[in-house]
Amino acid sequence: MKPENTGIKKTAAALGTVAGFMLLALILPRYYLYLLALILTTGLLATSLNLVLGFGGMYQFHHAVFYGTGAYCLALILTKTGLPAWLGYLAAPLAAALLGLIMGLLTVRLSALYFGMLQISLGSLVWAIVYRWYSFTGGDDGIHGIPVPDLIGTSRGAYLFVVLVTGACLAVMYRIVTSPFGMVFTGIRDNPERCRAVGINVTGHQLAGQVMAAFFAGVAGTLFVTVEGSVFPDMMFWTLSLEILIMCLLGGWFTFFGPLLGAAIIVVLRTVVGSYTEYWTLVLGVVLILLIFFLPEGVLGMIRRGGDNAAGK
Amino acid sequence: MHSGGITFAALMQQVLVGLSRTTILFIVSSGLSLVLGVLRIPNVAHGSLYMIGAFVTFSVANFYGQTGFGFIAALVLAPLVVAAVSLVLERGLLCRLYDREHLMLLLFTFAFTLIFADLVKMIWGSDYRSLNAPAWLQGSFDLAGLPFPRYSLFLLIMGPLVALGLWLLTNKTRIGKIARAAAVDREMVDAIGIDVSRVFAAVFVIGCYLAGLGGALVAPTQNITQGMDHTIIIEAFLIVIIGGLGNIWGALLGAAIFGLTDAIGILVWPQFAIVFPYMAVVIVLLIRPRGLLKAIW
Amino acid sequence: MLRVNELVKTFGGFKAVDGAHLHVAPGEVVAVIGPNGAGKTTLFHLITGQLVPDRGEILFKGKNIAGLPPHKVCRRGIARSYQVVNVFDRLTVLENVQIAVLARQSKTWNLFQTASRMCLEDTIRILQNVGLADKADRICANLSHGDRKVLEIAITLGSKPELIIMDEPTAGMSPEETAATLKLMQRLCRQMGLTLLFCEHDMEMVFSIADRIMVMQQGRTIIQDIPERVRADKRVREAYLGGADTCSA
Repeated sequence: MKPENTGIKKTAAALGTVAGFMLLALILPRYYLYLLALILTTGLLATSLNLVLGFGGMYQFHHAVFYGTGAYCLALILTKTGLPAWLGYLAAPLAAALLGLIMGLLTVRLSALYFGMLQISLGSLVWAIVYRWYSFTGGDDGIHGIPVPDLIGTSRGAYLFVVLVTGACLAVMYRIVTSPFGMVFTGIRDNPERCRAVGINVTGHQLAGQVMAAFFAGVAGTLFVTVEGSVFPDMMFWTLSLEILIMCLLGGWFTFFGPLLGAAIIVVLRTVVGSYTEYWTLVLGVVLILLIFFLPEGVLGMIRRGGDNAAGK
Repeated sequence: MHSGGITFAALMQQVLVGLSRTTILFIVSSGLSLVLGVLRIPNVAHGSLYMIGAFVTFSVANFYGQTGFGFIAALVLAPLVVAAVSLVLERGLLCRLYDREHLMLLLFTFAFTLIFADLVKMIWGSDYRSLNAPAWLQGSFDLAGLPFPRYSLFLLIMGPLVALGLWLLTNKTRIGKIARAAAVDREMVDAIGIDVSRVFAAVFVIGCYLAGLGGALVAPTQNITQGMDHTIIIEAFLIVIIGGLGNIWGALLGAAIFGLTDAIGILVWPQFAIVFPYMAVVIVLLIRPRGLLKAIW
Repeated sequence: MLRVNELVKTFGGFKAVDGAHLHVAPGEVVAVIGPNGAGKTTLFHLITGQLVPDRGEILFKGKNIAGLPPHKVCRRGIARSYQVVNVFDRLTVLENVQIAVLARQSKTWNLFQTASRMCLEDTIRILQNVGLADKADRICANLSHGDRKVLEIAITLGSKPELIIMDEPTAGMSPEETAATLKLMQRLCRQMGLTLLFCEHDMEMVFSIADRIMVMQQGRTIIQDIPERVRADKRVREAYLGGADTCSA
């Protein structure tokens, strides 16, 4: 197969998938559209984390803080200012990226575990401010009834918006992962020292990766606001960060689509289990332990490994 | 801000409050630091064990009708219960994962954070509980014209005792010396024929015991609630990092910074008191990214 | 091409490198030898930027590169290979070399082209040169130790360096693999006109391919000269305890 052909085929498949998801808006009842929109939003969030976690090998322990920053930035612009809504949708991911840059500058030189722990502490500082600043952020109540533009204010409109934005973001991230930058990033994951020795500015690439991941997490945050119409400080609490980590692990963190699958499984599982019992976190904990022991490379990772073995690699 | 109204007396009062808070934070984070330093496991479930310690203390003390004896019994029993739970956890599952990467270990302990949270909810329900200190520890006495709570004094005595005990354990006992050697070079200790796995188990259990002890000691001072696991674990992690990983004295120093900035923050700007200790942590880490005192690794 | 003057590096009181000298002319193959702990690896780390020297200068093409971070040293034209195999385990053989080629051509910041189609000719030429072309699609972790060592060299070539630094290129190899690697290095040096600086314990290899040999002891340079004179030098014999059997080779 010629490489040009695979490129065209992939583009066609991607466009077809997006079109298929959009057609679902005509068929599915509102609740399922809402659920699907939530899955895509969470999936985008998990994929953005995996950009630095799975491909960059960075211990991004507090990714949710960028998600929350994006969401809060949009919510505040929509509720507190008269600025046009589209400006909010643009500014929110940029604010998340800026936070990513600031936190990255402070943390990126450190070794993996220190990096992760310092990130948690900086993220917790952001959380603490949001949590306490009642007059501005609504404190632990959050902000509700956010006036989303009419076009995407209906559940169908919100769904279509989420599909389009998620599709576009995933396409861009896929390009990044397959680009020279992405290849170098996986190289840094496997062996940062060697990368330096062949002339790669490792911290520079890691910083850039962090900013990109934060940007897309911010986009996911705006989608959440669009779907739910509210924000609350739990969106940037550290436990959510670890839950996204679980999604990446579950789906397969050395694969591109793994986190998306992981997010889908977790969101569906939470909805289903939640309708039977209030002890959802217990179930999640047990799932996580089983994963660690029996499926350390995740669902897609295992499938790919099975394929490789069959192909005799 | 209304800093104009702060009197010296109020400041001293808050310093004392901060110091007794420091005691709890130190006991919990020294346990975390021990596990992190020797086993290199970022044990997120440490906060859950602290919460379990507090709830068990409540139950035991209540069983004896909140008497003085009941509280002492709870103070002895609760940490032991926590230690027993951690022993089962370590021998049953954790010890099979030592050769895995940090991320997996972190997620593994996070799984238990999730499980313990729901187990606590199952056993004790979602309501908060509160526990009174025994009569001889209630009330306050006069300290240079300031009312000083007896329980705070009790905590201020317990803190140095635990610190001394830990220092003796790590520096004067065989297991402590092995543990310190293993923290620096695991293969070497393995090579001279010592069963590292058992040393690890012991260290893990001691670390978790301290979480339980912290939970037991904190029980009479605040509401015992769901969610206290989440707050303490982040605080403990930050303390361990700013103090220097695996360094017991670092944990003490970090706890003091955290406890005092928190207590004084309440006085200076009550609404944002929670922000002060985090700010202190960020400042410390900007100056010394590897903590104030020497980290083990 | 490379000139090291009065280089000093101490680790908490221990002088690992203590006033070492070294000179490498273009196109030359220079070996550094010396007993264990003589400071050879530290010297190499200082040249390639892993460590920052306390004193002294490292002139490469007339410019002082002492204290530059590793990736900048590489950009100046010095590439290194490692004593322990140090490759990208989860990537394919092709990708391993491709990363170095991409870095050499300053394409690592490119976000929107497909990496798998870039720099292929250069990469495949290098793999053919070292004899790994038929294994290009294998995941690196599944290679034999010998192949991984060769890949190590291939990655180094990917940086298209003017000067290659090799830290014990045959460490841990079987005699056959050592012989093969020796042949490969000789061929590469001849064909590509490479300048090579390496350290090695295998004296047979050192004396068969080095143009000049530098001998280190306790962080100092004892002598740097052609093999015959190094072999005859009294100080060198003293430096190597039981020097008779190592130098008789």
